[in-house]
Amino acid sequence: MIFDSYEAFRATNFTPKVCILGSGPAGTTIARKLGAAGIPVVVLEAGSREFSDDSQDFYRGSTVGDPYFDLDITRLRFLGGSSNHWAGWCRVLDKQDFEPKAWAPDTGWPISRADIEPYLPEVHDILELPDFRPDVSISDDIRWVQLIKSPAVRFGEKYADELDKSKNIAVVLNTYAAELAGDGRRVTGAKLWSSGQDVGSFTADYFIVCTGGLENSRLLLWSNQRSNGGVVPNAAALGRYWMEHPTFEGGNAILADYSEFEVDATNEAFFSPTLAAMERLKIMNFGIRLIETPYAGIKSLVADLACTAPDMAEWVAYQLSQNLRCAAQLYVAWEQAPQASNRIKLSKTDVDHAGVPRIELHWKKSEMEHRTLLEGLRLFGTTLVEKNLGRVRIADWIVNGGDYPTNEELAGHHHMGGTRMGTDVTRSVVDANSKVHGMDNLYVGGSSVFCTSGECNPTATITALACRLGDHLSKLITV
Amino acid sequence: MSFFTKKISRRAIMQALIVLPTLSLFRGLPETTSSNADPDAIVEINGWILKRSDLV
Repeated sequence: MIFDSYEAFRATNFTPKVCILGSGPAGTTIARKLGAAGIPVVVLEAGSREFSDDSQDFYRGSTVGDPYFDLDITRLRFLGGSSNHWAGWCRVLDKQDFEPKAWAPDTGWPISRADIEPYLPEVHDILELPDFRPDVSISDDIRWVQLIKSPAVRFGEKYADELDKSKNIAVVLNTYAAELAGDGRRVTGAKLWSSGQDVGSFTADYFIVCTGGLENSRLLLWSNQRSNGGVVPNAAALGRYWMEHPTFEGGNAILADYSEFEVDATNEAFFSPTLAAMERLKIMNFGIRLIETPYAGIKSLVADLACTAPDMAEWVAYQLSQNLRCAAQLYVAWEQAPQASNRIKLSKTDVDHAGVPRIELHWKKSEMEHRTLLEGLRLFGTTLVEKNLGRVRIADWIVNGGDYPTNEELAGHHHMGGTRMGTDVTRSVVDANSKVHGMDNLYVGGSSVFCTSGECNPTATITALACRLGDHLSKLITV
Repeated sequence: MSFFTKKISRRAIMQALIVLPTLSLFRGLPETTSSNADPDAIVEINGWILKRSDLV
């Protein structure tokens, strides 16, 4: 069932056991799992079926620290959430991403990759993925990894009919929880707004917050403030340890034989470090995206190489004259070390139409990030030399420790952390089952529960975690 | 005008300045001809990750 307003939903006798806030990949996946188990669920979607400026305006906010995207651009507020603009790139976090790293504080999850692997077949169906191939080791330090370019499932489009026909799932559009109320043990109700108006309080046995990697923290911070700590009793880490995947062009490569790596349909191949290399160099995970270089770029690269290694430049020039592909751009996206100071705060001066403070995002890359970028490129370059596969040129600003360029990709629009998973209530917000510490009926879905970000796009992992949470609640909740 | 510039033309000075960076002494290139130098050693020069033998 899909309703265009809360008023239309309220006119029915449908009584949900579970209230899910948000209809993105996490919210929709959990709702489908619970609905399939016969559990009545309501999904509150703040936006409509389509994009609207009025709805999107609720996402405006500000950023303090490093340059970042406008907060009303980097996410979407309508049916299907941010799946409506994702690129479809998929890979699940590596086994090593879940493990604590002695050289990086506050790393390590309370679950392992094995805990989400049983759900990967479902993830493949939901995201319409081919089978993942295993990583290929090209040295002790570097893995050739797979990043699937999937059809980019729009959850609103793909599942609208199914949700509409479901007898166990009610999706209520244009309706959202401006705040949750709680007594320190349970969420006792949600103050709802629908179509621009306060429509009163709503209760359910369970609440699952799936409003996105920025908004989850905002809603819980505001709710906790309003209920004097009654929604997140252990709030020391709430909003903190927020992470992105910084993404910049890191340099170029000359390749002895471009066909050495089976590139995908867009002539790209991806490389990541082994855990041993990360440990030795004390760096985080990274992904190097190798893209065939446009011809103009090759000429300047060869000219640069001629100053240092003339014979090799001559060889490259010969390859070019034979119209052979032999050069690539190297884009690097890498894992940020979790830092409590990277956080979502509530603005003290700016509120939305419902009076909820807007987000003030504090985000800054650390020295660890620069080291990961530089040492990662050195690692890749060294591997190409040792295996006689090619040569790497690292961009000057990276070698010289210069400022990050401001005219590049900046980051991946991947919003992770803020309500991270863990066992230590001073350093995490939810437990291994995504339940808010100290609360009996409040859960969180989505990438805000990530403890670490790995190097890959988060949607596949978000979906796997949502399947796992849906499965857990299906066994827990009796109808 | 100094004694130096009286004896050498401005053109010659400019040509010398242009050539200077191409000399290995001024490019900071590692030793490539020494009998002790390992030709397979990995070196980083001007942002390039190379094999020492690439520099010959």
